[in-house]
Amino acid sequence: MKRFLLVRGAELLALLVLAAIPLFIKNPFALGLLTLLAIYGILLIGLDVTVGYLGQVNLGQAGFLGIGAYTAGLLVANCNAGLFTSLGAAFLICLVLGALLALPALRLEGPQFALATLSFGALAVTVLNEWEDLTLGAQGLSIDRPTLFGHPLDAAWFYWLCVVLLALVWLGMKNLLSSQWGRAFEALRDSPIATDAMGVGTYRHKVIAFAFGSALGGLAGGLYAFNFQYLQPQSFTYELMVILLLGVVLGGRKNLWGAVVGAAFIVLLPNLLSNPMLFRAFSLLGFAIAAFAVIRTRSLRFQTLAPVIAMGMLVVGSFTVQHTEDWRKAIFALMLFSVVVGLPEGLMGYAGKVLSKLFRVPAAPLPEASNLDDVVPMQQVNDNVLLELRDLKRHFGGVKAVDGVNLKLTSGSVHGLLGPNGSGKSTAVNVISGLYAPTSGQMMLDGKELPYGSLYRVAGAGVARTFQNLQLFSELSAIHNVMVALRDTYKTPWPLVLFGFARKEEHKAKADALALLKLVGLEDQARTKAKDLTYGAQRFLEIARALARKPRLLILDEPAAGLAHPDAHHLVEIVKRVHGRGISIVLIEHHMDVVSALCSTVTVLDGGQVIAEGTPDEVKRHPKVVAAYLGAAA
Amino acid sequence: MDSSVILQIIVSGALMGLVYALIAYGFQLTYATSKSLNFGQGELVMFSAFCSLTLQDWGVPYWLMVPLGLIIGAVLGLVVEHAAVRLALEQKSEGWILLTIIVGLFAFSLAENIWGRDDRPFPTPIPSDSFNVFGIDITWTEVSVAVGVLGIMGLVELFKRRTLLGKAFDAVSADRDAAELMGISATRTVMLSYGLSGMVAALAGILVSPITTVGPTMASAIILKAFSVAVVAGLNSGFGVVVVGLALGAIENLASLYLGSGWREAPGLVLLIMALALRPNGIFGKATIRKV
Repeated sequence: MKRFLLVRGAELLALLVLAAIPLFIKNPFALGLLTLLAIYGILLIGLDVTVGYLGQVNLGQAGFLGIGAYTAGLLVANCNAGLFTSLGAAFLICLVLGALLALPALRLEGPQFALATLSFGALAVTVLNEWEDLTLGAQGLSIDRPTLFGHPLDAAWFYWLCVVLLALVWLGMKNLLSSQWGRAFEALRDSPIATDAMGVGTYRHKVIAFAFGSALGGLAGGLYAFNFQYLQPQSFTYELMVILLLGVVLGGRKNLWGAVVGAAFIVLLPNLLSNPMLFRAFSLLGFAIAAFAVIRTRSLRFQTLAPVIAMGMLVVGSFTVQHTEDWRKAIFALMLFSVVVGLPEGLMGYAGKVLSKLFRVPAAPLPEASNLDDVVPMQQVNDNVLLELRDLKRHFGGVKAVDGVNLKLTSGSVHGLLGPNGSGKSTAVNVISGLYAPTSGQMMLDGKELPYGSLYRVAGAGVARTFQNLQLFSELSAIHNVMVALRDTYKTPWPLVLFGFARKEEHKAKADALALLKLVGLEDQARTKAKDLTYGAQRFLEIARALARKPRLLILDEPAAGLAHPDAHHLVEIVKRVHGRGISIVLIEHHMDVVSALCSTVTVLDGGQVIAEGTPDEVKRHPKVVAAYLGAAA
Repeated sequence: MDSSVILQIIVSGALMGLVYALIAYGFQLTYATSKSLNFGQGELVMFSAFCSLTLQDWGVPYWLMVPLGLIIGAVLGLVVEHAAVRLALEQKSEGWILLTIIVGLFAFSLAENIWGRDDRPFPTPIPSDSFNVFGIDITWTEVSVAVGVLGIMGLVELFKRRTLLGKAFDAVSADRDAAELMGISATRTVMLSYGLSGMVAALAGILVSPITTVGPTMASAIILKAFSVAVVAGLNSGFGVVVVGLALGAIENLASLYLGSGWREAPGLVLLIMALALRPNGIFGKATIRKV
């Protein structure tokens, strides 16, 4: 309750203050700045979706701002369109263009993504500049601000419109990002492979995230056009893009407050620069903060020292340079550099930490854990064959990693997959789970052919897996890791999610995830980030996450690798509990004691082929197995 | 239109394309060792060109200025590596994209304030008159571009293939940790790659300056095309950049002829987006196998 009051209260207060300002301050200049603040707020919230949540450097948002601005402006100038029609069109066109750009950008990471968006931004400016018949090119386009249902929008009313839109965007984004969608965005940033393997699907999430962020850029563009009532393609170039990034990073990524604070900063910056006293005070303040970090941590590492140097240069500049306007870009660069290096979580990310300590804001309480039977229902066990591999092959060039494997797994069994390193166990599992397509052969699950070469579709068929090299969503908490993977839980379509209709299923998801964490003994660490868990706990979390898929077949890829003895014991207990629910398990393992304790049947691979099959005791004595592990007797 | 005119346009465009290829080659050098590249490389080209011009203003003869300019470029490359790339690589984050943009922005502002915003001619002893081959006019400046680009690329490739230090490049590129265990300092190899990358960028600046003149924005268009060339050819392919560079130079000249000069930037941008869509590893690049 306290949390609710503080968080919601702060938001409401900020909104009321913003809305009330024009009643008291009649200064048109100040009002203009505030209007711009609201517009940039919307723009940066959109940019933060890719930069913060998807974790990709997006250099295309200025292009979307421009396209949105021209769309709305041209519709009003040429077609006499109304206010909401033109804003809606700006939103939609950027939504479509964003989705189109996301389709290629979808497969890209890091520098390639940045380059694709950079090119798009540059292309947008080129087209706006050169399509002179439509946009009038460099000459510029003048627009009359349309009326609101026949009511002329003066400065104050237009400001209120922008604030209302900002509040709506804020609310929608908050709902979206605190839902499964927001978690999925972050999950695919941390591990795209695991996101697909958990049946979430990187594809549509990345496209929708990018398209939606771009659409907000378009909406902001429409407002931008009506605010200035004059457009020039040159306003939307690379320099603006860098400033927008400055706003997001300075305000704080993955943070709605951060976007608005960043917007305020961008808007106020030109005024800051034109007033020498203010600029000096500001740079001294920045210098003090950076220097304080050095004193507090007593470390002279680059990360603490570099911001001091950059801020020091800014202070020197603020006292020596006559025309700060000429040095605008260098000043941006120094500030942005200090923030990126020294304060990666941004102002509001930092402030959020301090404030939540100061006010002792309690974390939102967790619901009661669901009954495990409702989360992972007991499955009927019979003696049918659940998984069958027929002559499965996977070759990499000349390397025959898997070379003709036949295997039958009985429903309800724990089937061990053994073999020396390089024998093809992991490749076999990667083929079954869809990371690789098989070179040839067949894979049947319950008599139906498994999809080939798609983690996402195999996950949909009822196969879940863990990873030998952990693939957790490291920035998400333990409970969120499990919630991302929950199957058959999220049914609300995303437009409704925006309006906050997903609360109920969200509550149930939390309870279900908690039940799974309880199963592996992690319920006390539900809120710990995955990367901060101990190594053993991370392994167990992978199992809990895979179980959230309610799988018929669970593949455990060396779950005991690197575990200390007590943890290995705990692992055996967990796997027994899972097995007790009727889930069939493929277990890849080197620890013979773990295998003996759990498996009814064991298949041994060597050189990509099956060399033995039987109970653990049988294969242990099998001459070929002994030879494979210890070398043939001379 | 007369076919010889079209041929003329293709040839002179292709020769300009070699400049993009050279800068793109610099991207490949750093991408190989560190999976990063300098988003502010255009500013580096511009800044080192201004430095070279200043050297000439001080009376340094052209042929002495060239090696000095290359050294300046290498030093600037090292500055970028130290200020913008190293920390991010240590943290295994993508922060280097932002940081290299920022360092570039700073260099841009510095250049604006030191040398002013106006474009300045870049004196060169290479004659600007042309000679005729099979009915196509080729200027000596263009010849110098071709010789310079192919020459330095050949030298760097020789260095990479024939010297132990050069082999370290391949080693770090293949597996950073394993290279460290074999006694190769990955940090130094990355530094070396940024130094070399800065050097080739500086040479690109010296070669192109007589044509474009020197000004703060001289490289902002060039750099976009260098990005295109690098991505279309593939960030890990050696000589693909030359082929793609020649092609892109020719295409953009044709676009500027048929669509109007304002559109000359467009083909590079479209090609880049299309290449990323169709072949994310580039035409000449190799696909990598995902491992878990």
